[in-house]
Amino acid sequence: MMIPTGEATIGPFFPPRYVDQGANDLTMFDGRKAKGEAIWIRGRVVQEDGAALENLIVEIWQPDADGIFRHPADPRHARADPDFLGWGRAATDDKGGYVFRTIMPGAPEGRAPHINFMLMFSGLMRILKTTLYFEHGMDVVLLAVPASRRELLMAKKQGPGSYRFDIRLRGENETPFFGD
Amino acid sequence: MLSIPMPTIIQPRDERTQPARIVAGYPQTPLRNPRQPLVKRSPTLSELSGPLEAARRVKLLGGDIAGHGDKQAIGQLIHLKVRVLDEDGAPVGGTLVEMWQANAAGRYLHPNDDDHAPPDPNFYGAARLVTDESGRCELRTVKPGAYPVPTRDGWWRPPHVHFSLFGKVWLSRLVTQMYFPGEPLNGQDRILNAVPDTAARESLVARYLPPTGDPHDALVFEHQIVLRGRAATPVQP
Repeated sequence: MMIPTGEATIGPFFPPRYVDQGANDLTMFDGRKAKGEAIWIRGRVVQEDGAALENLIVEIWQPDADGIFRHPADPRHARADPDFLGWGRAATDDKGGYVFRTIMPGAPEGRAPHINFMLMFSGLMRILKTTLYFEHGMDVVLLAVPASRRELLMAKKQGPGSYRFDIRLRGENETPFFGD
Repeated sequence: MLSIPMPTIIQPRDERTQPARIVAGYPQTPLRNPRQPLVKRSPTLSELSGPLEAARRVKLLGGDIAGHGDKQAIGQLIHLKVRVLDEDGAPVGGTLVEMWQANAAGRYLHPNDDDHAPPDPNFYGAARLVTDESGRCELRTVKPGAYPVPTRDGWWRPPHVHFSLFGKVWLSRLVTQMYFPGEPLNGQDRILNAVPDTAARESLVARYLPPTGDPHDALVFEHQIVLRGRAATPVQP
């Protein structure tokens, strides 16, 4: 058995081109449109003192509209939407804001619809991992979170096809993060 | 018979092989890392799958970033031979590797780097490669310089190269940094030394390879990166 390499902060100086134009739009892949309901997910990332965090990387991973992952570990992956990659990357702006355009995920077996999030930033020695949900439901990952904190993982509907998912790294109403 | 790829198992890491989240003398860390305990979960398919084709979503940048002729970057030319493995020691082929670094003077080509060291017009300092079947990729670059961190007590980062890798599943995603052997600043770097385990810390330092063959135009270093995950043992019928 080999020991996994130690993590380190992404630092403040990753190249500006690290976040490619369009990398936060999961609804289009190779010029073709993914099937399903296109939605917006917007949010703001803050630290303990409430300061907005600029230049922070957010990445997401999710299944397609039918809840199928584009990965051979999913027994149904041969039927995954060929026009949906399921991965995206965004950087926060000077107000701490990020935005993704994506497809409303279907429910994978045994899970409620959800989107996996990762945060990378100067001062984060380890990647922070959390999960966005659209509503409370039977879900083994959600149920692992103390009941009093589950609401913090719920995206708030802002209007048709538009959701808000704010993330607080530390402090009151701190977003639950997973240690795997 | 169809070959069904082996599922990946992710086991908890020995925390001593990973950096502390809050680091003395790194003033951003206490403001940005969770106060609440991290939630333990049993990984499901969602975390044990992941983007295998991230390279199709980003623009690849070649591995020769030192330039040539009158466009050659200033600095000590180096070849960096990288190998990416999983916890079984099996090569991780076809995975996206993103690398970036400061120039030889210790300056990043980044709008937020207001260090006084000079920029090098021939050095962008970033590569994006995909590993071959044996998990290898190679960078031709110049050795990055050290630079001061804007803290009151005069901490300098040693020469290092940043890495971002994907692997086979979401939980194998890794962001790390690679250091150079024999650098006096390694011993006082707060980021490198945030990893408590000595062997784990030493594995973040590249190995110098003696010159072989011609031309001897560059120092050669090799570096091994181990991503989380191993193949599930097949169940015997």
